[in-house]
Amino acid sequence: MRHFVYFLRQAIANIKNNRLIHFIGLSTMAISILILGVFILLYVNVYGWIQRWGGSMNMSIYLEEGLGKKGLERIERFIKNQDCVLTYEHVSKEKAFEEFKEALGPQSKLLSNLATNPLPASFEVEIKADENQVIGLKELAKRIEKLDGVEEVQYSEAWIRRFKDVLGMVKVIGFVVGGLLALGALFVVTNTIKLTIYSRKDEIEILKLVGATDWFIKTPFLIEGMIQGILAALVALGGLYLAFVLFSAKKTTFLNLAAIKLEFIPWAFLAGIIVLSFIVGAIGSLIAVGRFFEVARS
Amino acid sequence: MIRMFHVRKVFGGNVALRDINLHVRKGEFAFITGPSGAGKTTLLRLIFGAERPSSGHILIDGINLGRISRKRLDLLRRKIGFVFQDFKLLPNKTVFQNVALSLEVMGERPAYVRKKTHQTLRSLGLEKKETLFPLQLSGGEQQRVAIARAIVRNPMLLLADEPTGNLDPDLTKEIMLLFRTIHMKGTTVVVATHSRELLDSTAQRKILLQYGQIIGDVQP
Repeated sequence: MRHFVYFLRQAIANIKNNRLIHFIGLSTMAISILILGVFILLYVNVYGWIQRWGGSMNMSIYLEEGLGKKGLERIERFIKNQDCVLTYEHVSKEKAFEEFKEALGPQSKLLSNLATNPLPASFEVEIKADENQVIGLKELAKRIEKLDGVEEVQYSEAWIRRFKDVLGMVKVIGFVVGGLLALGALFVVTNTIKLTIYSRKDEIEILKLVGATDWFIKTPFLIEGMIQGILAALVALGGLYLAFVLFSAKKTTFLNLAAIKLEFIPWAFLAGIIVLSFIVGAIGSLIAVGRFFEVARS
Repeated sequence: MIRMFHVRKVFGGNVALRDINLHVRKGEFAFITGPSGAGKTTLLRLIFGAERPSSGHILIDGINLGRISRKRLDLLRRKIGFVFQDFKLLPNKTVFQNVALSLEVMGERPAYVRKKTHQTLRSLGLEKKETLFPLQLSGGEQQRVAIARAIVRNPMLLLADEPTGNLDPDLTKEIMLLFRTIHMKGTTVVVATHSRELLDSTAQRKILLQYGQIIGDVQP
Protein backbone atom coordinates (compact mmCIF):
# COMPACT_ATOMS: atom_id res chain seq x y z
CA MET A 1 0.00 0.00 0.00
CA ARG A 2 2.86 2.33 0.98
CA HIS A 3 4.52 1.60 -2.32
CA PHE A 4 1.28 1.99 -4.23
CA VAL A 5 0.77 5.53 -2.89
CA TYR A 6 4.34 6.39 -3.93
CA PHE A 7 3.83 4.88 -7.40
CA LEU A 8 0.50 6.65 -7.88
CA ARG A 9 2.05 9.95 -6.82
CA GLN A 10 4.91 9.39 -9.24
CA ALA A 11 2.55 8.46 -12.07
CA ILE A 12 0.42 11.60 -11.54
CA ALA A 13 3.56 13.76 -11.34
CA ASN A 14 4.79 12.18 -14.60
CA ILE A 15 1.49 12.95 -16.31
CA LYS A 16 1.64 16.56 -15.07
CA ASN A 17 5.24 16.96 -16.20
CA ASN A 18 4.47 15.55 -19.65
CA ARG A 19 1.10 17.20 -20.11
CA LEU A 20 1.38 17.76 -23.86
CA ILE A 21 2.57 14.24 -24.69
CA HIS A 22 -0.21 12.79 -22.58
CA PHE A 23 -2.82 15.12 -24.03
CA ILE A 24 -1.93 14.07 -27.57
CA GLY A 25 -1.82 10.38 -26.63
CA LEU A 26 -5.06 10.56 -24.70
CA SER A 27 -6.87 12.42 -27.51
CA THR A 28 -5.74 9.90 -30.14
CA MET A 29 -6.75 7.00 -27.97
CA ALA A 30 -10.09 8.64 -27.13
CA ILE A 31 -10.85 9.08 -30.85
CA SER A 32 -10.15 5.37 -31.42
CA ILE A 33 -12.50 4.43 -28.59
CA LEU A 34 -15.10 6.91 -29.86
CA ILE A 35 -15.13 5.23 -33.28
CA LEU A 36 -15.46 1.84 -31.62
CA GLY A 37 -18.25 3.27 -29.45
CA VAL A 38 -20.14 4.49 -32.52
CA PHE A 39 -20.01 0.98 -33.97
CA ILE A 40 -21.25 -0.55 -30.74
CA LEU A 41 -24.00 2.06 -30.50
CA LEU A 42 -25.07 1.31 -34.05
CA TYR A 43 -25.02 -2.42 -33.38
CA VAL A 44 -26.98 -2.12 -30.15
CA ASN A 45 -29.68 -0.03 -31.80
CA VAL A 46 -30.03 -2.08 -34.98
CA TYR A 47 -30.07 -5.25 -32.89
CA GLY A 48 -32.70 -3.81 -30.56
CA TRP A 49 -34.79 -2.66 -33.47
CA ILE A 50 -34.67 -6.09 -35.07
CA GLN A 51 -35.49 -7.76 -31.78
CA ARG A 52 -38.55 -5.56 -31.39
CA TRP A 53 -39.72 -5.88 -34.99
CA GLY A 54 -38.56 -9.42 -35.56
CA GLY A 55 -40.09 -10.62 -32.34
CA SER A 56 -43.58 -9.83 -33.59
CA MET A 57 -43.88 -9.64 -37.33
CA ASN A 58 -46.87 -8.19 -39.07
CA MET A 59 -48.82 -9.56 -41.97
CA SER A 60 -51.38 -7.63 -43.94
CA ILE A 61 -53.99 -9.71 -45.76
CA TYR A 62 -55.76 -7.55 -48.30
CA LEU A 63 -59.25 -8.67 -49.23
CA GLU A 64 -61.03 -8.61 -52.59
CA GLU A 65 -63.70 -6.01 -53.25
CA GLY A 66 -67.23 -7.13 -52.41
CA LEU A 67 -66.25 -10.11 -50.27
CA GLY A 68 -69.34 -11.46 -48.49
CA LYS A 69 -69.78 -12.17 -44.80
CA LYS A 70 -69.25 -15.92 -45.28
CA GLY A 71 -66.06 -15.44 -47.16
CA LEU A 72 -64.83 -13.07 -44.45
CA GLU A 73 -65.64 -15.57 -41.71
CA ARG A 74 -63.87 -18.37 -43.60
CA ILE A 75 -60.71 -16.34 -43.87
CA GLU A 76 -60.97 -15.23 -40.21
CA ARG A 77 -61.36 -18.86 -39.13
CA PHE A 78 -58.30 -19.85 -41.10
CA ILE A 79 -56.24 -17.09 -39.46
CA LYS A 80 -57.49 -17.93 -35.99
CA ASN A 81 -56.44 -21.57 -36.36
CA GLN A 82 -52.80 -20.76 -37.02
CA ASP A 83 -50.53 -21.36 -34.00
CA CYS A 84 -48.15 -18.55 -34.85
CA VAL A 85 -50.84 -15.85 -34.82
CA LEU A 86 -50.65 -13.60 -31.77
CA THR A 87 -53.45 -11.15 -32.59
CA TYR A 88 -55.51 -10.20 -35.59
CA GLU A 89 -57.86 -7.39 -36.48
CA HIS A 90 -60.25 -6.85 -39.32
CA VAL A 91 -59.84 -3.42 -40.87
CA SER A 92 -62.78 -2.44 -43.04
CA LYS A 93 -62.39 -0.22 -46.12
CA GLU A 94 -63.89 2.70 -44.16
CA LYS A 95 -61.64 2.22 -41.19
CA ALA A 96 -58.60 1.97 -43.44
CA PHE A 97 -59.59 5.23 -45.09
CA GLU A 98 -60.10 6.97 -41.73
CA GLU A 99 -56.74 5.78 -40.45
CA PHE A 100 -55.02 6.93 -43.62
CA LYS A 101 -56.71 10.34 -43.32
CA GLU A 102 -55.59 10.64 -39.74
CA ALA A 103 -52.06 9.65 -40.63
CA LEU A 104 -51.86 12.31 -43.32
CA GLY A 105 -52.88 14.99 -40.84
CA PRO A 106 -53.01 18.45 -42.45
CA GLN A 107 -52.48 16.89 -45.86
CA SER A 108 -55.70 14.86 -45.55
CA LYS A 109 -57.52 17.45 -47.71
CA LEU A 110 -55.91 15.80 -50.68
CA LEU A 111 -58.27 12.86 -50.19
CA SER A 112 -61.44 14.96 -50.38
CA ASN A 113 -61.32 14.96 -54.19
CA LEU A 114 -61.46 11.18 -54.39
CA ALA A 115 -64.79 9.88 -55.70
CA THR A 116 -64.41 6.42 -54.21
CA ASN A 117 -62.40 4.86 -51.39
CA PRO A 118 -59.44 3.12 -53.09
CA LEU A 119 -58.23 1.32 -49.99
CA PRO A 120 -59.00 -2.39 -49.60
CA ALA A 121 -60.38 -4.06 -46.47
CA SER A 122 -57.77 -6.20 -44.72
CA PHE A 123 -56.83 -8.41 -41.81
CA GLU A 124 -53.88 -7.03 -39.85
CA VAL A 125 -52.20 -10.02 -38.26
CA GLU A 126 -49.45 -9.96 -35.66
CA ILE A 127 -47.33 -13.06 -35.84
CA LYS A 128 -45.08 -14.50 -33.19
CA ALA A 129 -41.89 -15.24 -35.00
CA ASP A 130 -38.41 -16.33 -34.19
CA GLU A 131 -35.37 -16.55 -36.41
CA ASN A 132 -36.22 -20.01 -37.73
CA GLN A 133 -39.77 -19.15 -38.63
CA VAL A 134 -39.07 -16.96 -41.63
CA ILE A 135 -39.44 -19.80 -44.10
CA GLY A 136 -42.62 -20.98 -42.36
CA LEU A 137 -44.06 -17.51 -42.67
CA LYS A 138 -43.47 -17.53 -46.40
CA GLU A 139 -45.39 -20.82 -46.69
CA LEU A 140 -48.25 -19.43 -44.61
CA ALA A 141 -48.45 -16.32 -46.79
CA LYS A 142 -48.67 -18.52 -49.89
CA ARG A 143 -51.49 -20.60 -48.39
CA ILE A 144 -53.47 -17.53 -47.36
CA GLU A 145 -53.02 -16.01 -50.81
CA LYS A 146 -54.70 -19.12 -52.31
CA LEU A 147 -57.82 -18.63 -50.19
CA ASP A 148 -60.90 -17.32 -51.98
CA GLY A 149 -61.42 -13.61 -51.41
CA VAL A 150 -57.79 -12.80 -50.66
CA GLU A 151 -56.29 -10.25 -52.99
CA GLU A 152 -52.72 -10.02 -51.68
CA VAL A 153 -50.60 -10.85 -48.63
CA GLN A 154 -47.76 -8.63 -47.45
CA TYR A 155 -45.43 -9.38 -44.59
CA SER A 156 -42.20 -7.99 -43.13
CA GLU A 157 -39.91 -10.95 -43.79
CA ALA A 158 -37.86 -9.29 -46.52
CA TRP A 159 -37.21 -6.26 -44.31
CA ILE A 160 -36.24 -8.38 -41.33
CA ARG A 161 -33.93 -10.49 -43.44
CA ARG A 162 -32.25 -7.41 -44.89
CA PHE A 163 -31.75 -5.90 -41.45
CA LYS A 164 -30.37 -9.13 -40.14
CA ASP A 165 -27.85 -9.06 -42.97
CA VAL A 166 -26.97 -5.47 -42.07
CA LEU A 167 -26.62 -6.47 -38.44
CA GLY A 168 -24.27 -9.31 -39.34
CA MET A 169 -22.21 -6.90 -41.41
CA VAL A 170 -22.10 -4.32 -38.62
CA LYS A 171 -20.92 -7.08 -36.28
CA VAL A 172 -18.10 -8.17 -38.62
CA ILE A 173 -17.04 -4.59 -39.42
CA GLY A 174 -17.24 -3.79 -35.70
CA PHE A 175 -14.91 -6.65 -34.84
CA VAL A 176 -12.42 -5.78 -37.58
CA VAL A 177 -12.49 -2.03 -36.90
CA GLY A 178 -12.50 -2.63 -33.13
CA GLY A 179 -9.47 -4.88 -33.43
CA LEU A 180 -7.61 -2.41 -35.60
CA LEU A 181 -8.51 0.48 -33.30
CA ALA A 182 -7.36 -1.49 -30.25
CA LEU A 183 -4.05 -2.13 -32.02
CA GLY A 184 -3.83 1.56 -32.90
CA ALA A 185 -4.56 2.55 -29.30
CA LEU A 186 -1.91 0.09 -28.12
CA PHE A 187 0.60 1.71 -30.46
CA VAL A 188 -0.36 5.18 -29.19
CA VAL A 189 0.00 4.22 -25.51
CA THR A 190 3.31 2.46 -26.15
CA ASN A 191 4.73 5.54 -27.82
CA THR A 192 3.33 8.00 -25.30
CA ILE A 193 4.87 6.07 -22.42
CA LYS A 194 8.10 5.63 -24.38
CA LEU A 195 8.31 9.40 -24.79
CA THR A 196 7.72 10.00 -21.07
CA ILE A 197 10.35 7.37 -20.24
CA TYR A 198 12.89 9.10 -22.46
CA SER A 199 12.04 12.45 -20.91
CA ARG A 200 12.94 10.89 -17.52
CA LYS A 201 16.03 9.00 -18.69
CA ASP A 202 18.34 10.82 -16.29
CA GLU A 203 16.03 10.20 -13.37
CA ILE A 204 15.84 6.49 -14.21
CA GLU A 205 19.63 6.30 -14.36
CA ILE A 206 19.88 7.92 -10.93
CA LEU A 207 17.18 5.65 -9.53
CA LYS A 208 19.19 2.66 -10.74
CA LEU A 209 22.32 4.11 -9.15
CA VAL A 210 20.63 4.41 -5.78
CA GLY A 211 19.50 0.79 -5.93
CA ALA A 212 15.94 0.95 -7.27
CA THR A 213 14.76 -2.37 -8.66
CA ASP A 214 13.45 -2.50 -12.24
CA TRP A 215 9.89 -2.91 -11.01
CA PHE A 216 10.20 0.06 -8.69
CA ILE A 217 11.02 2.17 -11.76
CA LYS A 218 8.58 0.44 -14.12
CA THR A 219 5.44 0.48 -11.98
CA PRO A 220 4.70 4.25 -12.13
CA PHE A 221 4.88 4.02 -15.94
CA LEU A 222 2.46 1.11 -15.93
CA ILE A 223 0.07 3.09 -13.74
CA GLU A 224 0.51 6.02 -16.14
CA GLY A 225 -0.61 3.82 -19.05
CA MET A 226 -3.57 2.48 -17.10
CA ILE A 227 -4.66 6.01 -16.13
CA GLN A 228 -4.35 7.09 -19.75
CA GLY A 229 -6.46 4.10 -20.84
CA ILE A 230 -9.23 4.78 -18.35
CA LEU A 231 -9.25 8.54 -18.99
CA ALA A 232 -9.37 8.02 -22.76
CA ALA A 233 -12.34 5.65 -22.36
CA LEU A 234 -14.16 8.09 -20.06
CA VAL A 235 -13.54 11.05 -22.38
CA ALA A 236 -14.64 9.06 -25.46
CA LEU A 237 -17.75 7.60 -23.85
CA GLY A 238 -18.64 10.94 -22.27
CA GLY A 239 -18.37 12.61 -25.67
CA LEU A 240 -20.37 9.84 -27.30
CA TYR A 241 -23.10 10.15 -24.66
CA LEU A 242 -23.28 13.90 -25.15
CA ALA A 243 -23.57 13.47 -28.91
CA PHE A 244 -26.18 10.75 -28.37
CA VAL A 245 -28.30 12.96 -26.10
CA LEU A 246 -28.15 15.85 -28.58
CA PHE A 247 -28.97 13.58 -31.54
CA SER A 248 -31.77 11.61 -29.92
CA ALA A 249 -33.44 14.84 -28.72
CA LYS A 250 -34.12 15.74 -32.36
CA LYS A 251 -37.03 13.34 -32.90
CA THR A 252 -38.86 13.59 -36.18
CA THR A 253 -42.21 12.14 -37.04
CA PHE A 254 -43.63 11.14 -40.37
CA LEU A 255 -47.09 9.79 -41.06
CA ASN A 256 -47.70 9.60 -37.30
CA LEU A 257 -45.03 6.94 -37.01
CA ALA A 258 -43.00 7.50 -33.89
CA ALA A 259 -39.34 8.03 -34.58
CA ILE A 260 -37.17 5.01 -33.87
CA LYS A 261 -36.37 4.97 -30.17
CA LEU A 262 -32.60 5.15 -29.74
CA GLU A 263 -30.80 3.41 -26.91
CA PHE A 264 -27.36 4.22 -25.52
CA ILE A 265 -24.71 1.53 -25.08
CA PRO A 266 -25.74 -0.74 -22.17
CA TRP A 267 -23.77 -0.67 -18.91
CA ALA A 268 -22.15 -4.04 -19.54
CA PHE A 269 -20.72 -2.81 -22.85
CA LEU A 270 -19.59 0.48 -21.27
CA ALA A 271 -17.79 -1.39 -18.50
CA GLY A 272 -16.29 -3.68 -21.15
CA ILE A 273 -14.93 -0.72 -23.13
CA ILE A 274 -13.41 0.84 -19.99
CA VAL A 275 -11.83 -2.47 -18.96
CA LEU A 276 -10.53 -3.02 -22.51
CA SER A 277 -9.07 0.48 -22.58
CA PHE A 278 -7.48 -0.10 -19.17
CA ILE A 279 -5.93 -3.36 -20.42
CA VAL A 280 -4.69 -1.71 -23.63
CA GLY A 281 -3.13 1.06 -21.50
CA ALA A 282 -1.43 -1.48 -19.24
CA ILE A 283 -0.14 -3.66 -22.10
CA GLY A 284 1.03 -0.61 -24.06
CA SER A 285 3.06 0.74 -21.17
CA LEU A 286 4.35 -2.76 -20.36
CA ILE A 287 5.69 -3.03 -23.93
CA ALA A 288 7.24 0.46 -23.65
CA VAL A 289 9.02 -0.17 -20.34
CA GLY A 290 10.05 -3.67 -21.45
CA ARG A 291 11.70 -2.30 -24.58
CA PHE A 292 13.35 0.55 -22.71
CA PHE A 293 14.86 -1.69 -20.05
CA GLU A 294 16.02 -4.18 -22.68
CA VAL A 295 17.83 -1.40 -24.54
CA ALA A 296 19.20 0.07 -21.30
CA ARG A 297 20.55 -3.33 -20.25
CA SER A 298 22.27 -4.17 -23.53
CA MET B 1 35.25 -5.45 1.58
CA ILE B 2 36.49 -5.28 -2.03
CA ARG B 3 38.46 -8.07 -3.68
CA MET B 4 39.44 -8.09 -7.33
CA PHE B 5 41.15 -11.03 -8.99
CA HIS B 6 42.79 -10.67 -12.42
CA VAL B 7 40.12 -8.23 -13.56
CA ARG B 8 40.24 -7.11 -17.17
CA LYS B 9 37.84 -4.76 -18.90
CA VAL B 10 37.75 -4.18 -22.63
CA PHE B 11 35.56 -1.60 -24.42
CA GLY B 12 35.40 -2.48 -28.10
CA GLY B 13 39.04 -3.01 -28.94
CA ASN B 14 40.39 -0.80 -26.14
CA VAL B 15 41.67 -2.34 -22.94
CA ALA B 16 40.54 -0.09 -20.07
CA LEU B 17 41.82 -2.28 -17.23
CA ARG B 18 44.24 -5.20 -17.28
CA ASP B 19 45.00 -7.81 -14.64
CA ILE B 20 43.76 -5.82 -11.65
CA ASN B 21 44.31 -7.53 -8.30
CA LEU B 22 43.10 -5.45 -5.39
CA HIS B 23 42.06 -5.88 -1.79
CA VAL B 24 40.40 -3.06 0.17
CA ARG B 25 39.62 -4.05 3.75
CA LYS B 26 36.50 -3.25 5.72
CA GLY B 27 36.73 0.21 7.29
CA GLU B 28 39.64 1.28 5.10
CA PHE B 29 40.00 4.69 3.38
CA ALA B 30 41.70 4.45 0.01
CA PHE B 31 42.41 6.78 -2.87
CA ILE B 32 42.58 5.55 -6.44
CA THR B 33 44.72 7.90 -8.42
CA GLY B 34 46.30 8.28 -11.79
CA PRO B 35 46.15 10.49 -14.87
CA SER B 36 42.99 10.97 -16.91
CA GLY B 37 42.19 7.81 -18.88
CA ALA B 38 44.08 5.57 -16.45
CA GLY B 39 40.90 3.60 -15.68
CA LYS B 40 39.85 5.10 -12.31
CA THR B 41 36.20 5.59 -13.24
CA THR B 42 36.00 2.15 -14.89
CA LEU B 43 37.41 0.58 -11.74
CA LEU B 44 34.77 2.30 -9.57
CA ARG B 45 32.00 1.35 -11.99
CA LEU B 46 33.12 -2.27 -11.85
CA ILE B 47 33.08 -2.21 -8.04
CA PHE B 48 29.59 -0.66 -8.17
CA GLY B 49 28.36 -3.29 -10.64
CA ALA B 50 27.53 -0.70 -13.29
CA GLU B 51 29.91 -2.57 -15.61
CA ARG B 52 30.75 -6.27 -15.79
CA PRO B 53 34.39 -7.33 -16.12
CA SER B 54 35.47 -8.88 -19.43
CA SER B 55 37.34 -11.45 -17.34
CA GLY B 56 38.32 -11.97 -13.72
CA HIS B 57 36.27 -11.84 -10.52
CA ILE B 58 35.07 -9.07 -8.21
CA LEU B 59 33.85 -9.80 -4.70
CA ILE B 60 32.02 -7.13 -2.70
CA ASP B 61 31.45 -8.06 0.93
CA GLY B 62 31.92 -11.68 -0.11
CA ILE B 63 29.42 -11.53 -3.00
CA ASN B 64 30.73 -12.41 -6.45
CA LEU B 65 29.41 -9.74 -8.83
CA GLY B 66 29.85 -12.08 -11.78
CA ARG B 67 27.34 -14.55 -10.38
CA ILE B 68 24.79 -12.21 -8.90
CA SER B 69 21.27 -11.75 -10.35
CA ARG B 70 20.08 -8.32 -11.46
CA LYS B 71 17.72 -8.03 -8.54
CA ARG B 72 20.40 -8.97 -6.00
CA LEU B 73 22.72 -6.46 -7.61
CA ASP B 74 20.06 -3.76 -7.12
CA LEU B 75 19.80 -4.80 -3.48
CA LEU B 76 23.59 -4.80 -3.06
CA ARG B 77 23.74 -1.26 -4.46
CA ARG B 78 21.57 -0.16 -1.56
CA LYS B 79 24.55 -0.87 0.68
CA ILE B 80 26.87 1.20 -1.50
CA GLY B 81 26.87 4.97 -1.77
CA PHE B 82 28.18 6.60 -4.94
CA VAL B 83 29.23 10.24 -5.28
CA PHE B 84 29.80 11.58 -8.78
CA GLN B 85 31.90 14.45 -10.03
CA ASP B 86 28.85 15.91 -11.81
CA PHE B 87 26.68 15.28 -8.70
CA LYS B 88 23.88 13.59 -10.69
CA LEU B 89 21.11 15.37 -8.82
CA LEU B 90 17.61 15.60 -10.23
CA PRO B 91 17.01 19.25 -11.15
CA ASN B 92 13.22 19.06 -10.82
CA LYS B 93 13.34 17.69 -7.28
CA THR B 94 14.19 19.64 -4.15
CA VAL B 95 17.27 18.97 -2.03
CA PHE B 96 15.08 17.05 0.40
CA GLN B 97 13.45 14.96 -2.36
CA ASN B 98 16.82 14.15 -3.94
CA VAL B 99 18.15 12.77 -0.68
CA ALA B 100 14.88 11.06 0.31
CA LEU B 101 14.89 9.18 -3.01
CA SER B 102 17.65 6.92 -1.70
CA LEU B 103 15.39 5.74 1.11
CA GLU B 104 12.18 5.67 -0.92
CA VAL B 105 13.60 3.11 -3.36
CA MET B 106 14.16 0.84 -0.36
CA GLY B 107 10.48 1.10 0.53
CA GLU B 108 11.12 2.80 3.88
CA ARG B 109 8.17 4.27 5.79
CA PRO B 110 7.47 7.93 4.94
CA ALA B 111 7.93 8.98 8.58
CA TYR B 112 11.36 7.29 8.70
CA VAL B 113 12.30 8.80 5.32
CA ARG B 114 11.45 12.29 6.60
CA LYS B 115 13.29 11.85 9.88
CA LYS B 116 16.43 10.31 8.42
CA THR B 117 16.61 12.80 5.52
CA HIS B 118 16.27 15.81 7.86
CA GLN B 119 18.90 14.31 10.15
CA THR B 120 21.40 13.70 7.33
CA LEU B 121 20.90 17.12 5.77
CA ARG B 122 21.38 18.73 9.19
CA SER B 123 24.62 16.80 9.74
CA LEU B 124 25.92 18.25 6.47
CA GLY B 125 24.75 21.79 7.26
CA LEU B 126 22.06 21.75 4.59
CA GLU B 127 18.98 22.05 6.82
CA LYS B 128 18.16 25.51 5.46
CA LYS B 129 18.46 24.38 1.84
CA GLU B 130 15.95 21.51 1.98
CA THR B 131 13.28 23.19 -0.11
CA LEU B 132 15.64 24.58 -2.73
CA PHE B 133 16.33 22.97 -6.08
CA PRO B 134 19.87 21.84 -7.00
CA LEU B 135 20.39 24.63 -9.51
CA GLN B 136 19.74 27.19 -6.77
CA LEU B 137 22.80 25.88 -4.87
CA SER B 138 26.53 26.46 -5.22
CA GLY B 139 28.81 23.67 -6.52
CA GLY B 140 29.97 22.80 -3.01
CA GLU B 141 26.41 22.65 -1.72
CA GLN B 142 25.35 20.45 -4.62
CA GLN B 143 28.21 18.07 -3.85
CA ARG B 144 27.17 17.99 -0.20
CA VAL B 145 23.63 17.08 -1.29
CA ALA B 146 25.07 14.27 -3.44
CA ILE B 147 27.05 13.05 -0.42
CA ALA B 148 23.94 13.28 1.75
CA ARG B 149 22.10 11.11 -0.78
CA ALA B 150 24.97 8.59 -0.73
CA ILE B 151 25.23 8.35 3.07
CA VAL B 152 21.59 8.68 4.13
CA ARG B 153 21.30 4.88 4.10
CA ASN B 154 24.45 4.36 6.20
CA PRO B 155 26.22 2.47 3.39
CA MET B 156 28.94 -0.05 4.18
CA LEU B 157 30.91 1.25 1.21
CA LEU B 158 31.15 4.78 -0.16
CA LEU B 159 32.58 5.29 -3.64
CA ALA B 160 33.40 8.76 -4.92
CA ASP B 161 34.49 9.57 -8.46
CA GLU B 162 36.44 12.85 -8.59
CA PRO B 163 34.16 14.34 -5.92
CA THR B 164 36.14 17.58 -5.75
CA GLY B 165 36.88 17.89 -9.46
CA ASN B 166 34.55 20.88 -9.88
CA LEU B 167 35.31 22.55 -6.56
CA ASP B 168 37.77 25.21 -5.38
CA PRO B 169 40.49 24.33 -2.80
CA ASP B 170 38.47 25.51 0.23
CA LEU B 171 35.43 23.48 -0.77
CA THR B 172 37.69 20.52 -1.58
CA LYS B 173 39.00 20.58 2.00
CA GLU B 174 35.45 20.81 3.32
CA ILE B 175 34.29 17.81 1.25
CA MET B 176 37.35 15.73 2.21
CA LEU B 177 36.64 16.48 5.87
CA LEU B 178 33.15 15.11 5.33
CA PHE B 179 34.54 11.89 3.84
CA ARG B 180 36.87 11.48 6.81
CA THR B 181 33.96 11.95 9.20
CA ILE B 182 31.96 9.31 7.34
CA HIS B 183 34.98 6.99 7.42
CA MET B 184 35.39 7.52 11.16
CA LYS B 185 31.86 6.18 11.61
CA GLY B 186 32.96 2.86 10.08
CA THR B 187 32.18 3.21 6.37
CA THR B 188 34.75 1.93 3.88
CA VAL B 189 35.59 4.86 1.59
CA VAL B 190 37.18 4.68 -1.87
CA VAL B 191 37.83 8.00 -3.63
CA ALA B 192 39.08 8.28 -7.20
CA THR B 193 40.98 11.49 -7.89
CA HIS B 194 43.78 12.84 -10.03
CA SER B 195 44.31 15.86 -7.77
CA ARG B 196 47.92 15.87 -6.56
CA GLU B 197 47.20 18.51 -3.89
CA LEU B 198 44.48 16.38 -2.42
CA LEU B 199 46.73 13.32 -2.27
CA ASP B 200 49.66 15.21 -0.81
CA SER B 201 47.48 16.52 2.00
CA THR B 202 46.40 13.07 3.21
CA ALA B 203 48.10 10.09 4.73
CA GLN B 204 45.63 7.49 3.43
CA ARG B 205 46.30 4.50 1.20
CA LYS B 206 46.93 5.47 -2.43
CA ILE B 207 46.46 3.04 -5.30
CA LEU B 208 48.18 4.27 -8.45
CA LEU B 209 46.71 3.41 -11.86
CA GLN B 210 48.32 3.95 -15.24
CA TYR B 211 47.26 2.61 -18.65
CA GLY B 212 44.71 0.40 -16.90
CA GLN B 213 47.22 -1.26 -14.57
CA ILE B 214 48.05 -0.83 -10.88
CA ILE B 215 51.59 0.50 -10.81
CA GLY B 216 51.79 1.36 -7.14
CA ASP B 217 50.02 0.84 -3.82
CA VAL B 218 51.18 3.17 -1.07
CA GLN B 219 49.99 2.08 2.37
CA PRO B 220 49.75 4.75 5.12
